[in-house]
Amino acid sequence: MKDIIKIAWRNLWRNKRRTLITASSIFFALFFAIFMRSFQLGTYGYMIEQSIESYTGYLQIQNPDYFDDPTIDNSFNISDEMIDRVKNHENIKAVAPRVETFALASTGTNSKGVMVSGIDPVAEAEVSNPEHRVVKYRFTEEAIKQLKNDNALPPEINKKIETFKYNSYSSTAKIELDLDFENSDAEKYIPVIEKYCRFESNYLSPNDDGVLIADRLSRYLKISVGDSLILMGQGYHGVSAAGIYPVRGIIKMASPDLDNKIIYMSLPQINNFLGLNNQITSMVINLRDKDEMFETQNELKKIIGNDKYVVKNWEEISPTLKQQIQSDNVSGQVFIFILYVIVFFGIFGTVIMMVAERKREFGVMVAIGMKRKKLSMILSAEMLFLSILGVLAGIIVTIPVLLYGHYYPLELTGNMARMMEDMGFDPIMPLALFEPYFFMQILIVFIMIILACLVPVRSIQKLDAIKAIHA
Amino acid sequence: MSVIEIKNLVKIYNGSAVQVTAVNGVDLTIEEGEFTAIVGPSGSGKTTLLNMIGGLDSPTSGTIVVDNTDLSTLNKKQLVDYRLHNIGFVFQAYNLIPVLTAKENVSFIMELQGTKKDILTQRTKNILENVGLGDRLNSRPNQLSGGQQQRVAVARALASKPKFVIADEPTANLDSKSTENLLDIMEELNRKENITFIFSTHDQRVVKKARRVIVLEDGKIVKDERRK
Ligand SMILES: Nc1ncnc2c1ncn2[C@@H]1O[C@H](COP(=O)(O)OP(=O)(O)OP(=O)(O)O)[C@@H](O)[C@H]1O
Ligand SMILES: [Mg+2]
Repeated sequence: MKDIIKIAWRNLWRNKRRTLITASSIFFALFFAIFMRSFQLGTYGYMIEQSIESYTGYLQIQNPDYFDDPTIDNSFNISDEMIDRVKNHENIKAVAPRVETFALASTGTNSKGVMVSGIDPVAEAEVSNPEHRVVKYRFTEEAIKQLKNDNALPPEINKKIETFKYNSYSSTAKIELDLDFENSDAEKYIPVIEKYCRFESNYLSPNDDGVLIADRLSRYLKISVGDSLILMGQGYHGVSAAGIYPVRGIIKMASPDLDNKIIYMSLPQINNFLGLNNQITSMVINLRDKDEMFETQNELKKIIGNDKYVVKNWEEISPTLKQQIQSDNVSGQVFIFILYVIVFFGIFGTVIMMVAERKREFGVMVAIGMKRKKLSMILSAEMLFLSILGVLAGIIVTIPVLLYGHYYPLELTGNMARMMEDMGFDPIMPLALFEPYFFMQILIVFIMIILACLVPVRSIQKLDAIKAIHA
Repeated sequence: MSVIEIKNLVKIYNGSAVQVTAVNGVDLTIEEGEFTAIVGPSGSGKTTLLNMIGGLDSPTSGTIVVDNTDLSTLNKKQLVDYRLHNIGFVFQAYNLIPVLTAKENVSFIMELQGTKKDILTQRTKNILENVGLGDRLNSRPNQLSGGQQQRVAVARALASKPKFVIADEPTANLDSKSTENLLDIMEELNRKENITFIFSTHDQRVVKKARRVIVLEDGKIVKDERRK
């Protein structure tokens, strides 16, 4: 064994240049594969986090009929005791009850179909946390005019603000991004903008009789905080539902779709509105470890244990996001596959050359009594060393890059950033850390080496010593 | 005592176009301690004969018995072991493992045999000293001249304590001085340690040193001459 390793190791350095070229091709393949996967998975994780955690939740408990026919007639009652049992599961971070329905919203002059989401404002803070999306700043016409009149900001900044007229913000960070502020600009101008553009908007109190309205929807309906809104719809078991509600706050939803249609209401109020008796349409669940989602889903099924309820995961609830990720994922994998095919042939070529060059030597070794098996082991050990070299270099370089990219995500700027923003995501691309994909890439490299060794090892098994020596 | 007994050995190559009878009915006995040269024109069957004796090639008919073992009864794996434990090989070129030093090349074959470490170290040194390379133990083949490389090959062939050494044109790639030097060493080992050598050659100076000369022509022994 020792001499196999010794010979293999020295053989590796017989043709230094070839060894280095092959090892670096392994290195680059591994590096790019891991880096790309990490970007993809990191972004998916982030997108899921943003869109799932901002509304849908990872899991939902529903009435079994609700999935195919999502009306409030398919709502259900859940006991506190059951909720406690669910909450007791170690992977469950928070749960929040919800009633979702559709209604017609009207201001008298404008009307639009909307989604009314009844929430427990306190419990919801732990699940989708709508409170931090409450709009705090708005570039209203009056605010922009006032800024100009007072000469509070340089004209070019006023101009920029003009292009974002009517935009709403729940934090100054997004204002900075839209206006392309450097740190120094931000320090100077943000306080001014805060002063002029502050927007009075509140979150719901637990028994609130008012509503929160999504930003775009509010603009469509031309309605603001303090105004009243008429909602009309169908209540529980066909009773008619109608009411007039004061707007407490404007909320900037992450997803553009929701931003166009959602109205939040407190649970007591939606009970009144729809004539419900504490039924809910879903129990939304957030998890501690999202990688355990499927396991937790199955365990919850057992905990709940009867056919009055079903547990759905986000992939079932929002199949579009799932599909979007899947198709992107496939294209990424195709790219990596091509990368690996190229590298594979590089490795394969190296082994073939190694064998061809040393045919005589192998012939002599077999002739003097070296077992072919041992010879094959030497060759395989060489390839193994070669790949360890490449893989090790790959790991050493990748680890710090991943760590950095994970904790200091790439911040997008310009149009890309605005696009992500519009889709409701913060404009960052974090790298995924050492998830199974990382080890998968390493495994793939080693499998490639084994495959690349098969042919040469076979040719050693069949090597004709006489022919090899006299070739 | 005879080491090798060959009876009515025939080797026919079935080429695609023509059949070549490379060895055509050879009867031959090699005694222990002989220093035998096999000569003959190109294509006369020297290499073919040596390969069959060495267990690298199998005869079409006839028998080779080495130390009471009929080679035709051995399978491929057993043949590898047979070669490892009974025969020392010296080829025309590419004898040595290029990444191993002279010392390692010699001890390598003993490692394959499973020789104990301390014996192996001592023996390696002795043998390399015997071929005049006591001072080049740690040189790699590419740091040695062709003649020195062939001497390491002889040392390696001897390391396994073989029953005999087969050398197919060991001097073909050497200049006259190295040739003479190599032959002197082989002859000395033969005389002092009673090592049996069978070698093929085209070189008249090499033939001169042999104590038995077998002449092949068209796969047949046409002359078998012993000298003093
Ligand atoms: N593998 C083979 N297939 C077909 N014919 C072969 C093969 N090996 C050798 N021969 C033929 O067998 C005959 C004997 O060849 P061999 O190599 O034994 O001669 P040789 O005496 O060693 O010649 P040289 O002095 O040139 O080395 C030649 O005619 C050769 O062409
Ligand atoms: Mg020959």
